[in-house]
Amino acid sequence: AQAETLKASHQFPGGKGDARDEMVQLFAKELAAANVGLDVQVYPGQSLYKAKEQWGALTKGQLDITSFPLDYASGRVPQFSATLMPGLVRNHDRAKRLNDSPFMDQIKKLVEDSGAIVIADAWLGGAFASKKGCITSPESIKGQVTRAAGPAFEQMLVGAGASISSMASSEIYTGMQTGVLDATNTSSGSFVSYRLYEQVKCLTEPGENALWFMYEPMLISKETYDRLTPEQQAAVMAAGKKAEEYFDKEAAGLDAKMVDAFKGAGVEIVSMSKDDYDAWLAIAKETAYKEFAEKVPGGQELIDAALAVE
Amino acid sequence: MSPLEIGLLILLVLIALFAIGMPIAFALGAVSIGTLLLIDGFRSLDILGETFFSGLNSFTLVSIPMFILMGAAVSNSPAGKDLYEALDRWLNRVPGGLVLSNLGACSLFAALSGSSPATCAAIGKMGIPEMRKRGYPDEISAGSIAAGGTLGILIPPSITMIVYGIATETSIGRLFLAGVIPGMMLTSIFMAWTLYSCWRSGLTMSDVTQHYSLRQKFEILPRVLPFMAIVAGILFVLYGGVATPSEAAGVGALFCLVLVVVVYKMFSARPFLAMFRDSTKESVMIMMIIAASELFAFTLSSTFVTQSIAGWISDLEVNRWVLMAIINVFLLIAGFFLPPVAVILMTAPILLPIITSAGFDPYWFAVILTINMEIGLITPPVGLNLYVINSIAPDISLGTILRGSLPYVMCMILAIVILCIFPQIVTFLPDLVMGAGI
Amino acid sequence: MKRFVSIVETLSRLCGLTSMLLIAASTLVVSQMVFIRYFLGASTVWQTEFVVYAMIASTFIGAPYVLLLKGHVSVDLLPGLIGGAGKRLLDALAAILSLMFCALLGWSGWHYFYEALSKGWTTDTVWALPLWIPLLPLPLGVAILCLQYIAEIYKSWTLAEETPA
Ligand code: NA
Ligand code: NA
Repeated sequence: AQAETLKASHQFPGGKGDARDEMVQLFAKELAAANVGLDVQVYPGQSLYKAKEQWGALTKGQLDITSFPLDYASGRVPQFSATLMPGLVRNHDRAKRLNDSPFMDQIKKLVEDSGAIVIADAWLGGAFASKKGCITSPESIKGQVTRAAGPAFEQMLVGAGASISSMASSEIYTGMQTGVLDATNTSSGSFVSYRLYEQVKCLTEPGENALWFMYEPMLISKETYDRLTPEQQAAVMAAGKKAEEYFDKEAAGLDAKMVDAFKGAGVEIVSMSKDDYDAWLAIAKETAYKEFAEKVPGGQELIDAALAVE
Repeated sequence: MSPLEIGLLILLVLIALFAIGMPIAFALGAVSIGTLLLIDGFRSLDILGETFFSGLNSFTLVSIPMFILMGAAVSNSPAGKDLYEALDRWLNRVPGGLVLSNLGACSLFAALSGSSPATCAAIGKMGIPEMRKRGYPDEISAGSIAAGGTLGILIPPSITMIVYGIATETSIGRLFLAGVIPGMMLTSIFMAWTLYSCWRSGLTMSDVTQHYSLRQKFEILPRVLPFMAIVAGILFVLYGGVATPSEAAGVGALFCLVLVVVVYKMFSARPFLAMFRDSTKESVMIMMIIAASELFAFTLSSTFVTQSIAGWISDLEVNRWVLMAIINVFLLIAGFFLPPVAVILMTAPILLPIITSAGFDPYWFAVILTINMEIGLITPPVGLNLYVINSIAPDISLGTILRGSLPYVMCMILAIVILCIFPQIVTFLPDLVMGAGI
Repeated sequence: MKRFVSIVETLSRLCGLTSMLLIAASTLVVSQMVFIRYFLGASTVWQTEFVVYAMIASTFIGAPYVLLLKGHVSVDLLPGLIGGAGKRLLDALAAILSLMFCALLGWSGWHYFYEALSKGWTTDTVWALPLWIPLLPLPLGVAILCLQYIAEIYKSWTLAEETPA
């Protein structure tokens, strides 16, 4: 019989070496090789759905597979904000331990209740950069116009005395170029692909004490998954496992690639000390965490569960 | 059916729907949802509302109603008349001064308005009667204003550039800069051609009917300079690190509204209602097309038409300039029938990957695309500016307007050729102000 | 039916006025936002979102009014060319097809709105506005747009009967 074609969508540039695109392509290759009557058609770079539309399409069964920053769906499942919460992850080793913790069990249960299933875990590190000076302690960002990814970070940055300007990530470069923006924080991959090293003076690399981590798993629509035969389901999960292992190796490499690119462009590189990190965490606890605990059902438990991981 | 066949079928149905007179927005929507219903069944109705909403859910788009409001505020005030008069008073004694002030006023007004028909109407109301009064042939009077009006979408701010920027994720600030020098170049070509055809038809171009005193020359300036200050202000806000294009548009619109009140002492509600009615009419129309184009683009991508066309063209392996020529002809034909915004939204997602992989600069291409769209505004069967002139001067026949406009189509094609040979004309200013591009 | 037409047209004009007010409000809010950030160096929390949603609302709410003004641009080449009864037929066909599309859009928009309302979805920003608020103008405006289309179709038929070609 003719193979069924699954649609996979993501927002990252296709065919240009972006690790998230490669991860999805690898999954597609593995699944086709498994020979269980499933093909995957990858639509990169928002060529099918806009980044934030993917969740609705996935959970309704119109889209089969996506690599998706889970926080984008926090308007529908407010608990997902915990997956882009400042200081909750800290570094790649801890991210791996987090994956098998009760914290992630809760998140994955919420994903499943919404109509999707995680087929591969992926955590991305990110950084701060500024045109004005190095961002280390909370004091260092005071008065800078900053673009942040997600409301939790915005709350923390406002708490530290930054002012926020929201814009699409594709406008960051121009924002910095024209001077509308002083600083930004986003993922390591985006820092490189938007060539922000041409604009900034100093980069705060993730290192051992990174504030910025984001969960971007590969997901399959539950409707699609339930329709598959047990053999096909097993093949999907096996291919997901491969994709996850691939990304695991790449994730830390993304940070290194960013640091190389910025170093090459003559940008100063710093990292946060433990004291800096703790100072930020103290602000986050008063702002983002507090807000999350008050507004989100089970919010406090989620934060406690995440912080409890060694 | 192969994706290319599906694409052809979609195109044919779309042409049929356009031909029977369906509004562009609803025709795009209908052909898209029709295709999706046939392929994916009733569940595709689920995404219809969400796609229409998310197609408009962008802060960058806010600049469109704001710039339209700015243009409407100025168009519905005597500012166009004053601008025209000011240039006339100053250039009166220069040979061919009337031509220079007409086209000069068009390009200055273009800097205040993002749309071509608005520019055409604002200057034409004064310029055409004046030229005819002084014995210029109807053809030259109508043609030069119709062509001058098209500068509205090349000289920033420009609604079509904003739409291009959104459709291709390119920087709007940079696109605006890219249009400046080509806009001035095209203005000069228009002027040169008009002067030449005046000379050829035996007009004495220093037929000064009225002399203005120095006092008269200066007393009009206070009514014109504030609007020029707004243009300068917007440029400063955009490139001086104060605000993004959408924010600059909002501030510009507010300032224009306030200035109209202060300069022309418009305190009654009527002119305001007219400004807001005009701008609502235009921006709702454009935004509905944008929302529908989002669904259209989704449909083409979902059925793999977009990807197949790109693949098909790169397999052809034609010379990049042959490719560019083909694209230009295609755009010209589309522009004959459709308004610029619709052409850009429907074609940019398909064309951009082809253009960039052939090694063309997307900002340069934006200017080429815009000049193509300008041609469409003064050519039959659907040429918005022709209709505008026709309503300003109803006793000039459409045929005469058309004959008068045709040479300017040649001027624009010449401009495209010049820009192909010297792409630096486009890229120089953006590179200078914003540094080499990404 | 005449009464229906006049009620719908009044409704559409009200929509138009609302749409204009929304654009005016956006202009003020954008300017306020630039002022606050550039001159006072403070953060702007709700302004960006407000302006975007006001623009979306002004589009959907304004759509019936723009139809009343015949402002949804079309390529009415063929109908103009053939004229007479053929033109009337094509106009009616175009209007009915548009009405069908708008009905689907309104229905789908209503579902999206209802889902957001019943599931308590919010926008994914600091403001966390309930999503049904920005979604409401879609089904509302498009529903009135449909009514206006019915009025337009009725008007063109009765007009044709009164003035035979
Ligand atoms: Na303009
Ligand atoms: Na045309």
